Amino acid sequence: MKKMIWFTTISILFMLFIMPAIMASTIKMTPAGDQPGYGPRRLSIYGTKELLQKFVSKEKNLTAIGTTVKNPNLKNKKEVILNLFDSNHNLVRKSILNGFNIGDGDFVKFVFDVVPDSTNKEYSFTLSSLTAGADEIIEVFLVDNPAEGIIEYTFAEEVHQGGIPMVTFHKPQNKWEVIRKVYSNWLSKLLFPHSQKTE
Amino acid sequence: MKKLLVLAIVLRLLVSAFLFHPDIKTYNFQASFLKKGVVNIYSYLVENKASLPLKDEFVYFPLTYFILGGYQMIASGILGSGFDLWLADAGASSVVNNPNIFKYLAILKFPYLILDVGIAFLLLSYFKDRKKGEKAFTLWLFNPFTILIIYIFSNIDIFSVLLTLIAFLFIKREKFLKASVFLGLASCFKLYPLLFIPFLFLEGKDLKEKILVSVIPIFILLVVILPFWSPAFVQSALISGLTTRIFNPGFVIGFGESIIVGFFILSALFFYSWITDKKINLFNYWTVFLLLIFSFSHFHVAWLLWVAPFIVISAVKRPSLSLPIFILTTLAVVIPMFYQDRSMTISLFRLYTTWYDLLPTPFVVLQKLYDPYNFMSVLHSALAGGSLIISYHILKEEKE
Repeated sequence: MKKMIWFTTISILFMLFIMPAIMASTIKMTPAGDQPGYGPRRLSIYGTKELLQKFVSKEKNLTAIGTTVKNPNLKNKKEVILNLFDSNHNLVRKSILNGFNIGDGDFVKFVFDVVPDSTNKEYSFTLSSLTAGADEIIEVFLVDNPAEGIIEYTFAEEVHQGGIPMVTFHKPQNKWEVIRKVYSNWLSKLLFPHSQKTE
Repeated sequence: MKKLLVLAIVLRLLVSAFLFHPDIKTYNFQASFLKKGVVNIYSYLVENKASLPLKDEFVYFPLTYFILGGYQMIASGILGSGFDLWLADAGASSVVNNPNIFKYLAILKFPYLILDVGIAFLLLSYFKDRKKGEKAFTLWLFNPFTILIIYIFSNIDIFSVLLTLIAFLFIKREKFLKASVFLGLASCFKLYPLLFIPFLFLEGKDLKEKILVSVIPIFILLVVILPFWSPAFVQSALISGLTTRIFNPGFVIGFGESIIVGFFILSALFFYSWITDKKINLFNYWTVFLLLIFSFSHFHVAWLLWVAPFIVISAVKRPSLSLPIFILTTLAVVIPMFYQDRSMTISLFRLYTTWYDLLPTPFVVLQKLYDPYNFMSVLHSALAGGSLIISYHILKEEKE
């Protein structure tokens, strides 16, 4: 019976205190924040109809851009291309996905090689599906309210404030940094003043 | 024993506070309407679906609603004013980023802790031999499986499990009428205890008692559910997928007919006990029935709790079965972790960070190496084979 007591105690403590670190160590990129809320307004992308989005990267080592993409009836099976430009409109990175792998309403990440010195720098990207016809559209949503870092977008040659509900992802310096941030996030909630007190 | 109990409670409180399955928030959101005077939650949710932040139906029986809602009323002073806002929050990240979440989870799961410890003490009193009782007590409190099933998945089935165990204590003392009352109460939370009625019928001393022990549980259930009978109740609770899934598996025999495995097992055990046993050991039949049901159905991880106290008793009664039972229980708990459902694994840790949303589930990881469905089938087949042999062992031992 002693063995079972030890086994249970150790396995529960392992699950609560060590497992989160093991899981954190497998995270290859971290988001700069939560995805902003969005409403029903959408932009249809196909052929020459592409989206140009300006944004600010809040952290260093930019390595992916994610947003929610609709692929109605999963008809788009063509290339979906994201080109990343710096503030002088020089192409810095490119990421290509196949519409075949994009479900309707999926949160899709366009991953590219790390852009090291990206902290607080302005970038823009185009999102297109050049070979897709009008019946093979993909759609992206638009944010309802202004969101930090999402500056403006251009679609059908018109420029508007705001843009799509995008999240930037950044490569961590090392595994320990991610583990430290996970535990500090957890402890900050746990030790938040008065959080566990009775009102 | 006191030190062990304290350690067991500490472990349970830690799991309660730190691991989060979204179901607990959903059904507590629904139960919170009791504070606002809503009596029939089923029709209320259907009528107000458009305006509610969470659209789910209430899939449990009425007694669950009143107990959870009543508990919230009692605990509202500790939970604080922000609790209802948290319950109604539909944001995936804001829910887990609420700094009060540890307190909310620990308080909401506290009734399970009382019932859980209650089961431990019932197991202690189940055996005449004090040593065996203490072994069962310790084994119940110190196995990772029930801790996970109760406190991670916020398992409401613990109400039924405790009441079913009380029924078995009365069965052990041959007080079948009292046992049938507790089976009836247990079925007011989950229907599965009603499946025991055929065996209780066989055990009745005369025709009058046989009829009474069969009718009482159904009568109690009807008294509780009839005031809420409506299309909304029938659809969301009575014939919901979770209630009926146990009898889904079957094999077709042609012309629209099929053999339903769950009923097949029930029938086989019923006739076996009737024809071959002069003195039926109801405990053994119930344990074997549940073991076989899980072996041949796509079970919900929460259901494993139904059989847990009986497995503990079996392991104490027959020490030679301890290791095989441990291995089979591990298999049974591991299988659901490979379901294509984030909230069975990764999402449980979202309270530490929402970055875990970026991680693939075990299903996706395994997919890169091997077909996960095949893998689950292998595990489930091993579980079924092992359970079959343990069941045979339990029934055979009874004959000797």
